[in-house]
Amino acid sequence: MSAATETRVSASRESTRLIARRPGARRAIRREAVFGYLMIGLAVAFVTVFTLIPILVSLGLSFFSWDVITPPQFVGIKNFTRLFSDGQVLSSFGVTIVLAIGIVVLQIALGLLLAVLVNTRKHKWTKALFRTTFYLPLLASTAAVSIFMGYLFDAKFGLINYYLNEIGLPSVPWLVNPTTAQITMILIVVWQQVGFTFVLFVAGLTSVPTDVLEAAAIDGAGAWRTLFRIKIPLISPTILFATVVAMINAMQLFDQPFIMTKGGPGTATTTATIAMYQTGFQNLQFGYASAIAILLLVIILIITGIQFLAARKLVFYQ
Amino acid sequence: MTGSFGPTMDRRTLFKFGGAGLAITGLASLAACSSTSGGGTNSSATLKMLYFGEQKAATTIQKALQPQIKKIDKNATLEITAINGTDWNDFIAKVLTQIAAGAAPDLVSVATEGLQQMASKQMIVPLDDYVTKDMSSLKSYFGDVHPALVESMMYQGHLYELTDSYNAGSMFYSTDLYKNAGLSTPPAAWTMDEFHNNAEKLAALGSKTNSFDWVVRLWGSWTSFLYANDGNLLTEGKYSGGDWLWNKAYADNPQAKGRHGGWKWGDPTANSKAAVEALEYVIEMQKANLSPSPDVGGGGTLQGLFASGRIGMTIGGGFWAGGLYNAGMKNGSFDVQTFPTWKSNKSLFGAGGYGIFNTSKNKDLAWEVVKMLVQPETFDLVYPGNVTTPARKSLMTAERYKTTGPEHWSVFWDQLDGSVPISAPPYYQALATSLNQRTTQAISSGDAKAALDGMQSDLEKAQANS
Repeated sequence: MSAATETRVSASRESTRLIARRPGARRAIRREAVFGYLMIGLAVAFVTVFTLIPILVSLGLSFFSWDVITPPQFVGIKNFTRLFSDGQVLSSFGVTIVLAIGIVVLQIALGLLLAVLVNTRKHKWTKALFRTTFYLPLLASTAAVSIFMGYLFDAKFGLINYYLNEIGLPSVPWLVNPTTAQITMILIVVWQQVGFTFVLFVAGLTSVPTDVLEAAAIDGAGAWRTLFRIKIPLISPTILFATVVAMINAMQLFDQPFIMTKGGPGTATTTATIAMYQTGFQNLQFGYASAIAILLLVIILIITGIQFLAARKLVFYQ
Repeated sequence: MTGSFGPTMDRRTLFKFGGAGLAITGLASLAACSSTSGGGTNSSATLKMLYFGEQKAATTIQKALQPQIKKIDKNATLEITAINGTDWNDFIAKVLTQIAAGAAPDLVSVATEGLQQMASKQMIVPLDDYVTKDMSSLKSYFGDVHPALVESMMYQGHLYELTDSYNAGSMFYSTDLYKNAGLSTPPAAWTMDEFHNNAEKLAALGSKTNSFDWVVRLWGSWTSFLYANDGNLLTEGKYSGGDWLWNKAYADNPQAKGRHGGWKWGDPTANSKAAVEALEYVIEMQKANLSPSPDVGGGGTLQGLFASGRIGMTIGGGFWAGGLYNAGMKNGSFDVQTFPTWKSNKSLFGAGGYGIFNTSKNKDLAWEVVKMLVQPETFDLVYPGNVTTPARKSLMTAERYKTTGPEHWSVFWDQLDGSVPISAPPYYQALATSLNQRTTQAISSGDAKAALDGMQSDLEKAQANS
């Protein structure tokens, strides 16, 4: 703790002691403390009920065999040993990682590009227009977007192939070929999610101190040099935050592939969450599905940890 | 509010309160999760039923049926909850989730797809005792319903549902496109060669016409070709028993000969020669531009495309009559024929009916409602506008199809004689998942054998785990 901070803390304690000596002040402080605990308690209770308990129950269930109808049976680590020899489920993790990398790289790069371009606009109304336009897809229901995109990218009757044919180009098997289905899925998710990273980057770029930019300009730095040497390093904490959140979201990809391809063709777009859903809710193996969920949680934690380790060297804090 | 915790409340006390609260929440959620008997706390006169479809339709049916319910018991009410989904596997998954949440209903309207799964888990009860008790009043019902449909509602010798509807996989065709292609009405016992020739002639109409289209699902996809090729995804067999029903309800009916205690789906045969040939056939159709790449799901899109004149032929059941009419097609612009014969004239069907949940506290009342639901006068209240095929032969009349068509509506009933129900074992959900994945894999790779080898392995695992 720095000397200045220590001085501030000790001043604060001193003032609390002085206030406490006033009549009725102790009760007021206690009331305030209880109110504070209650407020924190609400958040803690929310996270506990909707996140912690489900994770713990899921962890517990992963050691059981349970079909919902009959009572659960303890099976030890059988679900985990089965998981590591189940080619289909392991392949779904591979699909998830491939899709997540594609989504995150494109989402960050495109979000940054759009933010930089919008940031160069002089008029406020054009900035507002672009911000709204790029953010709008994020507000749309993912299910509705997926159904709509399914029609748009339909190989035989879709609008996109119709126009491709009209200009003399052949139809593209968007969702019926394993490779194109994965690429299409990445493009659709990025189209909808890029507004999130875009808004973060716009806010980050706006907060870059103008005196630093002016100093760079005086030193003769051009637009590219300013971008890569000044702006991007200064917003690197925002980039780290956006990358971590985007990666966590992408690793849990479910709606778009489930609605558009049901995980197909074959298992080309069967993500870990789809495999989990099919195992639990369709095959009624909730214990095994919980084991898949726990593995996914661990993988997400590892990836996030790696991102934070990498950030030590790559992220610049002011 | 804050005073209620007392002036000495500290962090430790707060954690105690929080801990107790969390423990209660945790126990409550665990109790909800592990409730195996589920629900069962319905008021004595309110019956809850699950229905596959839109809530708007469910509410309409609920209102239409209330007067009938009041005739059974003036204090009784029927509450129908709709469950949406693209196909039966979605419906069944959501029903199971609801039961796991402790909200088990009294009645369920479920098709062949879910019957064995629910029966094997003892989620629905055998109706044997009820049927035996009321046999005299049910004689007219059984006399009106094809025994193949009744047998499809049996499992291990017991009857689990009374059927009110079914759909046999027949071949619908556009009469307009047939005329344009210079084709005449397909004959009753047409063959695969004739079907293929017709498809080639339809293809000559231009690239905007698809000779044939289909969707990936257990009912009426490439599986129809598999059945016609005298194959199946699972070994066909029958459970013993059921004489209690056949001897009393179908004693003089020759169609009941050889009927037993329900279909017993044995070892997987997904990579049999017949299956590979059938799947290769639809892949070749696609390669020859006679058929586009199929969608996965229930077939709603397919009806729209057929109605817009872009599809020449497709596999459909009685529900297509109302579907196409509602999509804007006029009676006469489409017709139906039995599925073409390949190595056999075997075709498939799925039936719908009503079962009673094991957890229901009002089973006797539920049984009375089930009987009411299969009465002839109830059918059009539940299924207005030919959106399925009535299980009762007396309801299959020219008058019924006068508005919607098709002209050869009698095909729906006639086809039942050579029909086998879709192979929906207790592990139907896993089968449906594998069928979807492996079919799309075969379509995209063009390798039917490899995909079906994978499916065989999937089904063997699912069978072992079931």
